[in-house]
Formats: sequence, C-alpha cells, structure tokens
Amino acid sequence: MVVVQGVEVQDIRRVFTPRKREPVVALDDVSLSIPTGEVHGLLGPNGAGKTTLVKILSTVLLPSAGRAFVCGHDVVVETKAVRPLIGIVFGGERGLYTRLSARQNLEYWGALYQLNGGEIKKRTELLLERVGLTDRAGQRVEEFSRGMKQRLHLARGLMGDARVLFLDEPTTGMDPLAAREFRQLIGELKGEGRTILLTTHDMVEAETVCDRVTLIDHGRLLATETPRTLGSLISRFQRIDVEDAPDELLAELEHIAGVSSVSMQADGSARIEVTEEGATSIVLRRLVDSGVTSVKTSLPSLEEVYVQMIGERGLVV
Amino acid sequence: MRGLVSTARVSWYAIVSGANDYWSIFTLKSWIFGWCVRMISQVSFFALIGKLLRSDEQTQFFLIGNAVMIAVMGALFAMNMTTSERGNGTLSLMLASPSRPVVVFASRGIYVMADGVFSSLLGLAILGPAFGLHFPFPRVLLVIPLTALVGFSAYSFSTFLAGVIIRRREMTGLIVNATIVTLMALCGVNVPVSFYPSWLAWISRCLPITNGLEAIRGVVGDVSWSTVGAHAGVEIVVAGAWLLLALGTFGRFIRAGQRDGSLEYAS
Amino acid sequence: MIRAFLAGARIQLQFLRAYPDALIPFFTAPMFSVIFLMIFRHAGRTDLTAYAAIAPVFIALWWLALFNSGWTITIERWNGTLEMLVAAPSSFAAVILGRITATTMVGIVSFGETWLVARLLFGTRITIYHTWGFLATALVTLAAMAGTAVAMSSLFVLARNAVTFSNSASYPFYVLGGILVPVSVLPHWIRPVSSVVFLSWSADLLRAALRPGPMHHFAFRLGMVALLGACGLVVGVWTMRVILVRVRGSGELGTT
Repeated sequence: MVVVQGVEVQDIRRVFTPRKREPVVALDDVSLSIPTGEVHGLLGPNGAGKTTLVKILSTVLLPSAGRAFVCGHDVVVETKAVRPLIGIVFGGERGLYTRLSARQNLEYWGALYQLNGGEIKKRTELLLERVGLTDRAGQRVEEFSRGMKQRLHLARGLMGDARVLFLDEPTTGMDPLAAREFRQLIGELKGEGRTILLTTHDMVEAETVCDRVTLIDHGRLLATETPRTLGSLISRFQRIDVEDAPDELLAELEHIAGVSSVSMQADGSARIEVTEEGATSIVLRRLVDSGVTSVKTSLPSLEEVYVQMIGERGLVV
Repeated sequence: MRGLVSTARVSWYAIVSGANDYWSIFTLKSWIFGWCVRMISQVSFFALIGKLLRSDEQTQFFLIGNAVMIAVMGALFAMNMTTSERGNGTLSLMLASPSRPVVVFASRGIYVMADGVFSSLLGLAILGPAFGLHFPFPRVLLVIPLTALVGFSAYSFSTFLAGVIIRRREMTGLIVNATIVTLMALCGVNVPVSFYPSWLAWISRCLPITNGLEAIRGVVGDVSWSTVGAHAGVEIVVAGAWLLLALGTFGRFIRAGQRDGSLEYAS
Repeated sequence: MIRAFLAGARIQLQFLRAYPDALIPFFTAPMFSVIFLMIFRHAGRTDLTAYAAIAPVFIALWWLALFNSGWTITIERWNGTLEMLVAAPSSFAAVILGRITATTMVGIVSFGETWLVARLLFGTRITIYHTWGFLATALVTLAAMAGTAVAMSSLFVLARNAVTFSNSASYPFYVLGGILVPVSVLPHWIRPVSSVVFLSWSADLLRAALRPGPMHHFAFRLGMVALLGACGLVVGVWTMRVILVRVRGSGELGTT
C-alpha cells in the first residue's frame, strides 16, 4: 500500500533570471519527504533557498524542474486540489491589512477559504482565542506588536483548517516569551495530525519544535537529521578558550585525538577546537591537572557548523 | 543679523532639497506627458464651457481663472511634502535640530509652488492663442509677477494648513484635494466675486487668490492701473496675514504633536 | 466564486472606512456641482442644469476608478498579500472584481450629493424625463466603469509609469469624455478619439434623459457604452492572467 506523504519533493530545481544579471540557482535538485503529521524544520542561513521551497510548495511559485506533491497532489498542475489543504504563515510586517482589525482580517480570509458565513464567525473567534488575541480582536493591526502580528499570521494560516502548514521564519523578531508560546502552539497543531514545514535560522527553535530538521544552504540540502543528532553534531564541535596556558602544554594538547586545532587569539588567549565527542573532557582534565583554571567552553555558531559540514561533505549521513 | 543669515541658509538648503525630491519623482518626460497634459486639459476643460456658452468673454474668464488655479494647486501640493517627512521618519530628526520647523517646511515646498506658477504661465501662453484670445502686449507681462504673488499667497495658506494637519498625516490627501476644489468654488475663479452673496464675498476676499486674480483679469482687460494696483495690494496683505498666521501657529501645532505623540515615526 | 466576489466587496467597503483618502470624491463631487451650477446660473442658462448635474458624478466615478480601483492589485502586491491571494482556493479574478464593483457602486452616492446641492443650495430640481432610459444608462455606465477599472487595475501592475498616468488621466478624460461640455462642442479632430471613450456616449445619454425630447438612437448608443465597457473588462481579465503567470512563473511580481 502506498502511503501518501504530507509533503513530497522530487528533484526540485528553481532558477531565477533577474534582469541584466546572472541567473541564480535558488534550489538545486532538492528532494525531501515529510510524512503526514511530522513537524519538519528547514534550517539554513538567509538566502539558502528556504523561502523559495516554501513558495513552490504553496503553489505560489513554479519550479524550473522537478515535481512536488502536497497530500499526494501535484503542486504545479493540481492547484485546485492543493490550495484548500494548505495554510501559509509567511510572517513579518507585511501580509496583513494593517488598517483593518484582526477580526476583519481573519473573516476575509475565511471567506476566501470558502467557509460559509456561520463557519467564518465561529472559526474566527476560535482561532483568536487560540492565539490569545481575543481581547485585541477589534483593534487595528497597525497597533499590534511584532509578536501579536505573528500570532495573527498563524491564525490566518489556520482559517482554512489546513492539513499542511508552511511557516516561514515565524518567530523572527519575537521576544523569547512570545516565541516560546508560539512553539507550544505548534506542538498542539502537530497533535491534531497536521503536517508542518517550518523554516528557521534559529538552531534552538529547530531543536525544540521539530521532529526532524533538514539543513539547507545555497539551494542544496546538506543533511536531514533528528534534532538530537544535530545537537550531538554540534556538541562534537566544541571550543575551549584558555588563558595563561604554557606553550608546551598547548603543544601537547594539539596532539590529543579529537583536537583539530590550537590557535592563539588576539587577546593572548588560546582557542582549542575539538571535533570528537569525549575529547573535550580529556582536554579539560589535562588543563585542570596542569593548574590552568581560566577556562571557558562554548559551542560554535550555526554558520561555523555549516562551514564544518560543507568542508566535510563526506560527513553527511 | 546672524540669526537672519542662518535662517536664510537653512531656507536655501531646504529649497534645494525640496527641488531634488521633486525631480526624483518626475522625469522630464513624465513632467511633459503627465503633468503638462493634465494641466492643459484642466484649463481647457473649463475654458470650453465658454465655447458651450458661445461667449468669448466667458472663455477668457474661465481660461484665466483656471490657469491661475494651476499655480494654486502647485502651492497646495507642497503640503504633501510635510506628510512625506513624517512618513520617512525625517520629521523627528528635523524637530530635534535647532532650526525653526516652520522655516524648513515652508522652504521645502517652494520649488513645487514655483513649478505651479511656471506651469500656470505656460498654460496661459499656450491656451490663450489656442482659444483665439488676444492678450494686450506688453501689459500682459504684468501677469507674471501677479501670478507669482497669487502662488506665494496660496503657499502661505498652504503652510498654515500643513501645520493644522501635521498630527493627522493620513488626512493630507483629503485635505489637499478638498481645499483645491473649495478654493476653486469660493475665490472667484469661475464666477465673478460679485455673483456671491455679500457675506460670502467678504470671506472670499480674505482667502488667497481672489484679489490677485482680479488684478490679473484687470491687467488683461481694460481696467485702470489704480484698480489693478488696489487688488494686488489687498492680495499682498492677505498673503502676509496667512504667512504670519502660519509662522505663529506652526510651532504650537508641532508642540501639541510632541505632547500627544502624534508625530511618531512613519505611520 | 460568488463567495469570493462578496468577500472582495465586503473588505473593500471596510477599506473605505479605514482610509480617509477614499472619501475624496465625496467631498469634491458636491463642490464641483456648486461650481458648475454657479457658472450656469451666472450665465443665465438654467437649461444646462442637467449638464451641471451629471458631470460631478462622472468626475467621482472616474476618480474612484483611477485612484482606488485601479490600484487594487498593485496595493496587494505592496502589502505582501498578493501571493496569499494567489495561494487561496478562491478565484483571484472574482475577488478583484468584487472589490472594484463595490467601489464603483459606492460612487452612486455622488449623484445623491449632486441632487441635494442643486435642491438645497440652488433651489433647482433635477428632473428625470426618461426614467427607464436614465436607469438603464446609469446601470450600464456603472458596469462599463467597473470594466474599465478592471483594465486599469491589471495594466497598472505591469506598466512602469502607472503613477504618472493615474495622476494625469483625470482631466484629459473629462474633456475627451465630454462629461460637462459635450463632444459636439470640441474641435472635430478630437471627436474620433472621444468616440472610443465610453464616457462620451454615456454622458450624452444621461443628459438626454434629463431633458424633455426623445432619446435618439437609444439602443445603439447604450450598446456602445456596453461594448466599450466590455472591452475594458476583457482586457483587464486577460491581463490578470498575464499577471498571475508572472507571479508564479518568474516570481517577479510576488513582492515589490
């Protein structure tokens, strides 16, 4: 029996040819499979192609090559079947009618998602409550904070009771508390059996909310992992900053298995980069035994992980 | 004295920046095929009523009135600049500077007003002959400074209004358009002032345009120099009065806006 | 599709309340009535009251088409909602048509204003001599106005100098359309151009309906209004297809 995936992407390619400039390959033979009911993260830096992929899947953009399916329907030729099933949450400052109230915005989209009069009113109130905007429902959107607008975007995306939701960087610019509440909401939606594709450049968000995460950069998918695997990938790449360590000690540390480099920083401290799990504790013990106590450990940034991953392409599982 | 010089300098820079803004909106092509075509059509629209009424006298009346109205429009469009200040967020920066806001505002729009005056004269020059009208030369040259006077008078009025609406930026389009049409109705543009009931005529003479327009019509017609001079003189007084009012109240409107926060960044 | 049309109409009416600029024609129309009525009274031509009555209505309707309806799609684009509209299951064209129709219908208010101005300020009654002719012409005119506005809304998205056109296309069309001064008074080299502007046919018919005496060639003239309006609609809807292709195909119209 063939199981219909929530989202299926087969060798999608998208090239943009802006006027008077070189063509840009936004997506380069991307393939991906998201089972129904999964929360899938698309993690990558700006310009990686995340938004482009989401636009193709939401029938707003055509691919240059390849095929994609939402709930088994081809996004290029079966738009009539796809559109009632999807909800789009692009977020940001744009995409809302700012001089209308939250309620008016939702009722409009409800009508466009082919709900009848009674359903529109009912669902509007339900969703306003769900995203915590009931008290502000009659207020003009232009008076909303960033977090409130994002929540309204989510409510808007849910007006059609979408089976598949596309969230494009939904928590950017939100304060941590609002972002946390937002993620809780996503958890609830997953519990309702909806398939969710979430793009982000925030590692923590990817880890806390998603079942699986795909890393994307320059239009190419680098890896698809569970967050835990990603977490361990990161924790492998640790760095230890040390002050006042004697040179001989540093030279010795450089030869420990799992230490990739020891370099001097501008402020006189030494940076020890580690790429193997477990090597960190060996290095730390050696340092403490030698009496060096001015020690600081940190994790690399997302970009640095990418750099490592692109550099060690063979590492991709 | 130094205060005057620095005010003049601020004014000059504001004028130049206003001109630059204006030409960032228009190219020569769009000025000719957009604005000029509209201007010619507008004056013709009214002048043609004279043809409908089969009266050359009426045709001339409408033509002059509505050509001068173009200068007035220029003066009033300058109000749009105040809202673009607020929209760009430069308003707060300007208010924080040591210059008097009214000086900057008043100067930024001068270019737009000057463009209106120029267009007005262009319209007269082109359409007068086109409608078969003959203007007495060299008498008619006086129309040039008189039109500039009307333009300046309307501009003082416009500056005052700009202060009034500075806290409600979203109303600017409405106020500009409503004011233009109202002035068109009340300032003897399409009917002589004598047509109005006396109370309205009195109001009309306190508004910009009315007296200056009568002076212009007097120049083109066979009216005595003393009458023309009298009308022009009243227009100068009216212009001065609106300017004083603008200078006096602008600061107050700004302060009120600062108090109630309605001069926020871009809305 | 009906639901989409009505949703568009409803939100457009909400916009009317939210944006003060939308009210401009409702201020200017009565003012223009005052101006025109003053002119004709001063000239002693009370027989031209009909002219003064309908010109402001055309000015209001054309303004709404040029500055309101014409910018419907472009504003969606600037607002970031164009792509969302494309992705929604409803018919794009139906929503836009609903919005434009709502705006056009609201323009009818200007006729009421004109009527009131004439009655209250000038003590003149505007008499409709041919009721059915007037109503039929009014309806077809409104439809033609909406059709033309659809063409504007589509073309403005694609044209580079739409703003300039919008700002300048008021009075030229008032002249060409003979909305105050009939085309018959214009120099003859202009008349062929006027004949493809539906306004001229419409204005002539409405003036005839407000005068005693028969309405000549009624069916033909009304047919011309309908035909020219329909052309606008066809051009508009066809261009909308082009726009949708560009949004999906090249992505260039998706954002500003």
